[in-house]
Amino acid sequence: MSTADKLHDEWLLSYAAGVLDPGRSLLVASHLTYHEDLQQAVADAESIGGSLLESMQETDVDDSVLDALMNRLDETVVPQVRPTSATGGKYPQPLMDYINCDMESLKWRFMGPSMRYSLLWDGPNDERLWLLRAHGGIQVPEHGHNGDEWTLVLKGGFQTSSGQYLVGQMSIADENIIHQPQIDAGEECISLVMTEGPIRLKGLLSRMMQPLIGI
Amino acid sequence: MELPQEEMAALLLQVASLRDRNAFLQLFRHFAPRIKSFLMSKGLSDQSADDILQEVMLAVWQKAVSYKPEKAAVSTWVFTIARNKYIDLLRRDERRKESSIESFTANSADHSGDAPDFQPEDREALTADDKVMQQQRASAVKQALSRLPEEQQAVIVLSFIQGLAHGEIAQHLDLPLGTVKSRIRLAFKHMRGELGEVL
Repeated sequence: MSTADKLHDEWLLSYAAGVLDPGRSLLVASHLTYHEDLQQAVADAESIGGSLLESMQETDVDDSVLDALMNRLDETVVPQVRPTSATGGKYPQPLMDYINCDMESLKWRFMGPSMRYSLLWDGPNDERLWLLRAHGGIQVPEHGHNGDEWTLVLKGGFQTSSGQYLVGQMSIADENIIHQPQIDAGEECISLVMTEGPIRLKGLLSRMMQPLIGI
Repeated sequence: MELPQEEMAALLLQVASLRDRNAFLQLFRHFAPRIKSFLMSKGLSDQSADDILQEVMLAVWQKAVSYKPEKAAVSTWVFTIARNKYIDLLRRDERRKESSIESFTANSADHSGDAPDFQPEDREALTADDKVMQQQRASAVKQALSRLPEEQQAVIVLSFIQGLAHGEIAQHLDLPLGTVKSRIRLAFKHMRGELGEVL
């Protein structure tokens, strides 16, 4: 099954509960910046968290905690200076905070003709969060998946058999999907991609190249 | 100690505008024992729970100015701070193990990340609407939770309190991953449906 557009509620709720790993958390946070309705869903989920906190049993807190705390109330708060990105808010702020540099300054690696990628995070179970950069008009090699593949469009757009994806939209493909995204003609396409396990490239040439690429 | 939501909000605004230590103390007495349980239910030791608890309450003091009563109940705001401090701790531990991982913190009702987003224009007194909203919202969420079928309550509690991700819940309950996801989705849908405009 392939689904389009927006993340499902179970991811928003788990994001609100704070149980997602850093990669998925960053992906969700980035996706949220495009959609007010999803931000509202996260806020709703957080109020579930608030209500549960309120109904927690009370555990005795040693007086020493309060004493130590009261002594710290005069600490000066050093305001965190957020580097404003040179891209002028073109990309999601959580992503820019994470990479902490300009998109151009990332280390981009070869991934095939007219395609480059930059690895942002890899998880304990072979999950990877990476940025994909592809020239307008090209076709991404046909591939399958070993787990879910989430693709959030940050710039440009692409098309698969399940539809058209534009900036802010998320393509979610599970392991049964084999697709061959067609990048829209014109400007380049940049996407934030989360994969679980290596993607499975079709075609002999692609398969031979895969070990060199590492995604 | 029980404290109605609108009183919490009034206390928090006093902390924000007057740096009122007595108001802060009342918030501490209410929240600290609950936050401690919350942290310990995620598996933290007594000592680590106390350490994080101190960080959370210090953040409540420091970030009180960024609290917006019209956006969230005080307990929701405090929850997001506790959640983020706990995530910070996890990431610090991960970094110790694997120095390549950067910190990233979920961040929404706590709009400010690690430092306060200083927005003095929001530091107004509670309006009557805010007061009603605060109380209604909090009790409606509680009721909606209690009306969920038990199996749906379970996945919600395992997510928020035990801090388990989908895969971990699946293992814990010995269920297929897909079932866990659809249960969470269903539970959330029920709650949002029932709460409607109140949230």
